[in-house]
Amino acid sequence: MVLRLPMSAKPEVQEMNALLGRVAMERDRTAFAALFSHFAPRVKAYLLRQGAPAAVAEDLAQEALLSLWRKAHLFDPAKASVATWLFTIARNLRIDAIRREKRPELDPEDFMPETGPSADQSMVIADDESRLRLALKELPADQVQVVQLSFFADKPHSQIATELGIPLGTVKSRLRLAMSRLKRALGEME
Amino acid sequence: MIHHHPGDELLLAYAAGTADEAVSLIVATHMSYCAVCRERTAKLESLGGALLQDLPPAELEAGALDNVLARLDAVKPFERPRRAASRDGTPAVLRAYIGGDLSTVRWRSMGPRLSYAPLFKRGKVSARLLRGVPGADSGVHHHCGTEFTVVLQGGYTDPTGNYGPGDLQVMEDGMSHNVVADPGEDCVNLAVTTGRLKFDSLLQKIAAPLFGF
Repeated sequence: MVLRLPMSAKPEVQEMNALLGRVAMERDRTAFAALFSHFAPRVKAYLLRQGAPAAVAEDLAQEALLSLWRKAHLFDPAKASVATWLFTIARNLRIDAIRREKRPELDPEDFMPETGPSADQSMVIADDESRLRLALKELPADQVQVVQLSFFADKPHSQIATELGIPLGTVKSRLRLAMSRLKRALGEME
Repeated sequence: MIHHHPGDELLLAYAAGTADEAVSLIVATHMSYCAVCRERTAKLESLGGALLQDLPPAELEAGALDNVLARLDAVKPFERPRRAASRDGTPAVLRAYIGGDLSTVRWRSMGPRLSYAPLFKRGKVSARLLRGVPGADSGVHHHCGTEFTVVLQGGYTDPTGNYGPGDLQVMEDGMSHNVVADPGEDCVNLAVTTGRLKFDSLLQKIAAPLFGF
């Protein structure tokens, strides 16, 4: 079963794409300011959840949006939404600045078998964020919680289990259930 | 053809950025060979985007936008660093750690049939390259901590199956196996361990600490 997109989510993704397009093509500061106002507070919230001190989260959120300005010409709406792209930028900034590690990242031009996603698949990938947001709303709250913690709390599952006061096996089974429902939302075969 | 992929949990840790550098290197190296897992990762990153989008916004400091607007003119557009092309198909993400192609690695001998080259160590976590000539046998060993292996060249067989280029194997804490390099070319692996290995044979018991295993 393929979930229908909500009428509201898809235009939002397209609106963000259009704003970023204006930043890339015209260096449009008004468009940049709109992206900043929408995303910088969310990136800061993400960094706070990762345990960053408030001043560091503020700096990195500003830094992430500055990266968006510097890298706008590299953004490809066929491969990811603006939110997804910015998530990867913020994630990598955090690893670099807080963990002081490098992020081993694939070189997009270094694919061994030449089988990048076809145009058809790219269309699906671009819609993934909207589909996932809808699917997340349908999940039981306890499953959303472990998905969020797995993503946003830089902690092993054993520690997440201790903090929630549930067995490790329960954390893993909730995550497994959530992931299989999210995959189904993306129309993947189990 | 890749037969052994990372599980959801490992790929999620990579996409979320919670996996450490060595484990991330394992996943990125596997993905250099594996289009399926590149796509799985893209989907998990979309999940990160969806979660980010739905987070309750945090309040920014006063003047945050003006501060960033004032810096826009001073920053240069980002340019992807140019990397020299590999001559022998070594994944670029790994070349950055080797400092060149696999063919330029300076191997250290661990006996007539096995050799290794350390890449880096962070606390208890070590990343290294291992090479065995065809038929080389690791000897039975037990894992304290987890070991992640990606085959780069040739292949090996252990009781769980056969592993070729791009295949990823995870040995959990407490598991034991012995690994035999397949016939044909030398078997070269990237291996990350989060603890020491314990060997059954007396000679290897003595030798392993010398090599930092």
